[in-house]
Amino acid sequence: MSMELIVALIASAALFGTGIYGALSQTNLVMIMMGIELILAAALVNLVAFWRYLHPDAIEGQMFVLIVMTVMAVEMAVGFGVAIARFRSRGSVEMEEAQELKG
Amino acid sequence: MSVQVIFLAAFGLAAVWFGIVVFRTHSMVRSALALLFSQTAIGAMFLVMETEFLGVLQIMMMATEMSIMAIFMVMFMMDPGGLGAMDMKHQRRLSLWAGLVAFGGATGLAFFANWGPLPAEIPDAAEQVRLLGFELLGRSMLIFESAGLTILTAMIAATAMAVLPGRKAEAQTSEPPGHEGHGA
Repeated sequence: MSMELIVALIASAALFGTGIYGALSQTNLVMIMMGIELILAAALVNLVAFWRYLHPDAIEGQMFVLIVMTVMAVEMAVGFGVAIARFRSRGSVEMEEAQELKG
Repeated sequence: MSVQVIFLAAFGLAAVWFGIVVFRTHSMVRSALALLFSQTAIGAMFLVMETEFLGVLQIMMMATEMSIMAIFMVMFMMDPGGLGAMDMKHQRRLSLWAGLVAFGGATGLAFFANWGPLPAEIPDAAEQVRLLGFELLGRSMLIFESAGLTILTAMIAATAMAVLPGRKAEAQTSEPPGHEGHGA
């Protein structure tokens, strides 16, 4: 068992837990997006660690990292689009005031 | 204990600590900066794991992204400086338990999974970039192009959603009586 891999995975698990806490506990849309960013960052750490310590010969592992980075950028772009639309129509991005979105 | 383990643990701790600070501070600008430091520490972890290209990419991309996020935070928050010490949290107990269970589950997996033997050596930085370049413009070109197209689509969709004419008027007419947005 590689100590380096375990350390990276524990850091990733802590980032994931922090992101889950942030995404669930915050009432502001932008803060919720910050929580999701931390969750995706945890996935990035996992992917790089798995590539580095398990399969360094398979460069496709780094492709996954680039795809997750793309997902982070798309999440930011769409999230801010929603935030601007919400702010212009309702004057707030507080999710406590978005009860009408409840299914 | 190798030097790599020490640096990985140090940057991992920094990333987690700044990640926690994001949700502890009342100032939105501090939150955005804390997330920037957290993401930078993650980029440093990539550098320690000898993936130079991804590490530098992570740091540069996140520096830009978090700067934009800080601007949006100041624009949209009712108290961006955090001087009013507003409480912006709900369902604290559930969130805390969900976070702890996620951390515990992922840590358990890290310890109890059988990861198999470690490879002897990895390609050096220049070789990694060369291989990744061939991968991006060879076998994985469709995935790479799809990712680029997805970002372009998201940019256009987000801009269209934000500037759609008549949205404000429509929203105001559909509002129930007595419910008025504040600040718009």
